[in-house]
Amino acid sequence: MNPDDLKYHKEHTWVKVSNRKTVIGITHYAQEALGDIVYIDLPEVDINIEVNSEIGEIESTKATSSIISPVSGRVIEVNEELSGAPEIVNEDPYGKGWIAIIEIDDITELDDLMDASEYEKYVEEEAK
Amino acid sequence: MKLAILGAGPGGYVAAIKAAQLGAQVTIIEEGEVGGTCLNWGCIPTKSFVASIELLAKARRLEEFGIELKGEIVPSISKIIERKNKIVITQIKGIKGLFKSWGITLKKGRGFLVSPKEIVVTSKNGSQEKVEADTIIIATGSRPAQIPLFPFDGKKILSSDDALNLDIPKSLLIIGAGAIGCEFACIYKELGSEVSIVEMLPRAIATEDLEISELFERELKKKNIKLYTNVKVEKIDVRNDGIHAFLSDRREILAEKILVSIGRAFNSDNIGLEVIGINKGNHGEIIVNEKLETTIPGVYAIGDVIGGFLLAHVASREGITAARNVMGGDEKIDYRSVPAAIFTSPEIASVGLREHQALEEGIKVKTGHFQFRALSKSHALGEITGFVKVVSDKASDRILGVHIIGPHASEIIHEGALAIKTGLKTRDIIETIHVHPTLSEVLMEAAGDVHGGAIHVPKR
Repeated sequence: MNPDDLKYHKEHTWVKVSNRKTVIGITHYAQEALGDIVYIDLPEVDINIEVNSEIGEIESTKATSSIISPVSGRVIEVNEELSGAPEIVNEDPYGKGWIAIIEIDDITELDDLMDASEYEKYVEEEAK
Repeated sequence: MKLAILGAGPGGYVAAIKAAQLGAQVTIIEEGEVGGTCLNWGCIPTKSFVASIELLAKARRLEEFGIELKGEIVPSISKIIERKNKIVITQIKGIKGLFKSWGITLKKGRGFLVSPKEIVVTSKNGSQEKVEADTIIIATGSRPAQIPLFPFDGKKILSSDDALNLDIPKSLLIIGAGAIGCEFACIYKELGSEVSIVEMLPRAIATEDLEISELFERELKKKNIKLYTNVKVEKIDVRNDGIHAFLSDRREILAEKILVSIGRAFNSDNIGLEVIGINKGNHGEIIVNEKLETTIPGVYAIGDVIGGFLLAHVASREGITAARNVMGGDEKIDYRSVPAAIFTSPEIASVGLREHQALEEGIKVKTGHFQFRALSKSHALGEITGFVKVVSDKASDRILGVHIIGPHASEIIHEGALAIKTGLKTRDIIETIHVHPTLSEVLMEAAGDVHGGAIHVPKR
């Protein structure tokens, strides 16, 4: 269910690495827990963000939740499509529902993240 | 007791009625229309606009509510203004009717204190008349403050007064992200203007709790209203293509019109204060004691002109207190429980201490939050944005502050005002059964959240 080529953060965000540019988004588990997403406050392009810090917020019909960055770096692109159609994140959290592209500072930071199977176990634990 | 009141706004007219009820013979002097800023240029006209705007916004969501529209929704600003004028006129008649029934004499003209017991009233045609009284209450109010570099011209550089009788501009730059600026931002955005706001302070509605500002700023973003904080407009240049505003951070904004809403100036000049020796503060506000008496015995002052909250309901409360004191009472006002509301979309309302204020005062607090979107009534109404924040004293559990952003915030706040006025604890709110389904349940749940006991919140 959670793609194997991604890395996962405990605040339910994911990272896909290609060179120094990483795509980030929220996980299937996160979108399901949130329910119908009605608004996504995206980070601004060109700002620097820190790992574990809030870079945006998601509002669903039942909750609001911070988007916690899984990496540190500079925001080079955000998924503008989400401003008009935030439900894309519900429909395709690992694909069209990506949130931002970050140029990361320190590639070793990724070592702290979980792989798909670790994340699945983590989610199971959290659900208990 | 012969009482003369200078100014028939929400301070003066309420003082007049209360004093008449208590047996005074009252004369009230008003240069403009009765009702003052509140009725003619403030609360009531803007709220009649807001009613039109809210309906417009809802109408744009008809489909969501299962209603099919065959045709187009087109707001007409001239008809919105016409409706507003009708409402104002009805209310003016209402106040005049009350004056008549209580035997209050209304004198139209500009009043000038020539002694602590005499006011000279100059009417529009220049005729003068002297009103004599045992006691005087000054309730002359305030007016929009302007920026000396580019004063109001009523056409391109507007005050909030001008903004009530406007064609919808293509683009509007608002200077000042306080209550007035933000209300007009929401109104004109819904009517189709491109709106930007420039604010000197680090955040919009900076007088409110930090978390309220944060959410409100996100709502501005959702509406596509551009907010520039920590920045000033240093210069403007009126050119053929519009007004170019130059900001202190070197940015430039082009707009068809500019609304200046940087605050209010006190109407304390040219009414004779200097003649009789009434002291004023640094900003021109009249200095009064706890009983609302000025530095001259027998002359009282109330409302905006004494500074402080600059809210109609505070002026009215002061009017009542001053009237009672004039008639022999010895009352003062408890300002800790003054509620305030901002009629933006979503609405904002607050009472008591903000969290940061409590911390500054060295009070240890606990806070509770509750989101409107966790209430079924919010979903039924289709209004899910916003939350309530309760600030309570950690040691005593007493409620110190209530902060609301969301639907009908201005109606829900009174439970908080009552709680603070009477020293209630969060437990008292929690134990009070609230009707289901209502929006008022938010406060009960937020109070519950102070102790981690809100029902409609997942386990943390």
